[in-house]
Amino acid sequence: MSPDRSTDAPEPGSLGGPDDLDDETRTAVEAELRCLADDDFVVAERYTEWQVRGPTLEADIGIGNIAQDELGHARLWYDLLEDFGHDETDLVWEADPGDFRHATLVELPFETGDWADCVVRSYLYDHYEELRLEALRESSYPRIVDRVGKVLGEEPYHREHAENWLERLAEDAGGRRRLQEALDRLYPHALTLFEPTDQEDAIVALGIRREPLDVLREEWRAIVVPVLAGLGLEVPEGDDADLLPDARGRDGTHTDAWEPLFHEFTHTYHDLGREEAVSLMPDPDEADV
Amino acid sequence: MDVETVEARAGPREFGPGDDMPEEYRKAATRMIQFHANSEIMGAYLERPFIREAPSIDRKLAFSAKVQDEIGHGQLLYRAAEELGVKTREQMLDELARGEGKFLNCFHYPMERWEETPMIAFFVDGAAMRRQATLKRTSWEPYAHAMDKICFEEGFHIKHGESILRELMTGPRAVQERTQAAFEEWWPRILQFFGPTDDQSTHHDFSAAVGLKTMTNDALRQAFLNAYVPKARQYGLELPDEPRVYRDAETDRWVVEQDDLDWDEFWTVAKNDYDGSHVQIGKRERTQEAVEWVRDAIESPGQGGVTPAAADD
Amino acid sequence: MRWEVFRQDKKKDYHTYVGTVHAPNAELAKQYAEVQHGRRKPTNSLWIVPKDAVETVYADDPGVEFGGTTQKDYRWATAYSTDETFAEEIEASQREQEEAERDIAEADR
Repeated sequence: MSPDRSTDAPEPGSLGGPDDLDDETRTAVEAELRCLADDDFVVAERYTEWQVRGPTLEADIGIGNIAQDELGHARLWYDLLEDFGHDETDLVWEADPGDFRHATLVELPFETGDWADCVVRSYLYDHYEELRLEALRESSYPRIVDRVGKVLGEEPYHREHAENWLERLAEDAGGRRRLQEALDRLYPHALTLFEPTDQEDAIVALGIRREPLDVLREEWRAIVVPVLAGLGLEVPEGDDADLLPDARGRDGTHTDAWEPLFHEFTHTYHDLGREEAVSLMPDPDEADV
Repeated sequence: MDVETVEARAGPREFGPGDDMPEEYRKAATRMIQFHANSEIMGAYLERPFIREAPSIDRKLAFSAKVQDEIGHGQLLYRAAEELGVKTREQMLDELARGEGKFLNCFHYPMERWEETPMIAFFVDGAAMRRQATLKRTSWEPYAHAMDKICFEEGFHIKHGESILRELMTGPRAVQERTQAAFEEWWPRILQFFGPTDDQSTHHDFSAAVGLKTMTNDALRQAFLNAYVPKARQYGLELPDEPRVYRDAETDRWVVEQDDLDWDEFWTVAKNDYDGSHVQIGKRERTQEAVEWVRDAIESPGQGGVTPAAADD
Repeated sequence: MRWEVFRQDKKKDYHTYVGTVHAPNAELAKQYAEVQHGRRKPTNSLWIVPKDAVETVYADDPGVEFGGTTQKDYRWATAYSTDETFAEEIEASQREQEEAERDIAEADR
């Protein structure tokens, strides 16, 4: 357990249901959920670009599966936001692009054929995700606790997939060069995964998440840096403040890649004159998640 | 085994990798299965953009899962073709990228709007599934085994397509009209799926004689129209005046007026020479070339690479 | 050296795992498999594979979740409310999927 853990934070699961929260707590819970949901939604949106374009048929089927897992996780987190009176429509389809709180790492486009980007991005993201989700296992908000185990259940596959490809590509000189280029480009954006929202202090103080993001960032660095270095890759060095991109994601600012992507995935919804998002599956609360 | 023996023994799942098949059989089966596998890949190309376009999270998941299945089907089919010993999967994928691989006529046309998606996801896939169901009885055992899994999965695809169609045809009037327009555009191509009715296909007789094909195109067309014309009407889609399609009261069979269909275009498509063919094949070629480096890197790691162990030295 | 043996009862069947043989090379492995696994049960063919060449994944291996842990209903024909009975091949697919879903639910219990 980290020394930073707020010792007087509420006990795991003790906050009660959505209707039991005071405004301050509710705002903090919403901020945490929004980051979780948007990260998974947008990373999945980008992963699907690899469908039918993977380096092998098997890799194609694999990345499609990972995309579906992540999108399914986004669906579970958005569903918890619906407890507070939102619906999928206002959270996604009729939202403003500036409402999204995902890290800039997940919104960047893939250059055609740049599988090294996909591998590095996934590696950096999936390790971040594991740490953040583990810090939610004992969340004071019980609705998160109910779902985080199922979400974590699908994550080891993602990490192993990224690590296997990372090792494989690093065995080849050209592959390693491409990994390095991807790492140079992506690492600053990966740091935005750990950027706080304006609710960070409340999230930790209320025990919604058991570890502050800056602690998670150091844990993450302690995992990924030695592995990447061991593969002959150079992790960009310097103060995070210098490395971080201008847009931080978590504060609603995004790179130039975001708005075009947002319009691409929302325009059919508007074109069809939709007013609601069609569900095909039972509500997660009705299903055995 | 000579061709006469093959014809005499031909039956469902009769021949497998352990059998000494004549070259004519191996080539005919390779041509047929390669065409089928290529079609899975090229169909997925048309549908992939609609993962992004999908207007709800659940629809996005379903489209992603469907495209994933199609690539999975291609994977199974290339294996069934490889077992014939004529071509490797890499050769077949290269032929596809070079524009030498043939695939279904419908996948040579662009698909740009959501209203078009059920034309493939319901009607074309419905036609394909009708054909695939009969191929569970093909004489090449690995092909039949692939069909077992493909037919198992495919029911989801058709129902997904139908549910999109239903949603569109119960939506705003303008959306219904655009869906009708998409139907009119795609309907002739869908009718051509099964080839000309007076098909003197050079491949058919041999394929049927050796049990690779188990049903004629005409019988498949009849079964398809029996099931899908009422479906189109159920959702309020109107068959266009042309091509003329009607049920002949005397024979109680569907008639598709051949002169109403553009067969020049069909044969141009069949030669991969239609404008859309160049576009679709070009996409395949570019994306395949763009990841060539990955295959090179994993098949023959180049000099100067480090293994995880060596990196610690 | 250990070899894994897969037997096909009769033509058109799938090969299923039936056991092993110990043998120093492929030729002897084939001969031993013939008598150990093919002498009494109906046999059309055998596949004999070096044990070391067989990778395995078990449902209870750490990190393994066949079919995932979150809702994937969208992959199943049963998630869609349209009527499958208008075409026999779609109805057949739906029935097979229903059976598979029952088997999965049974295994999870």
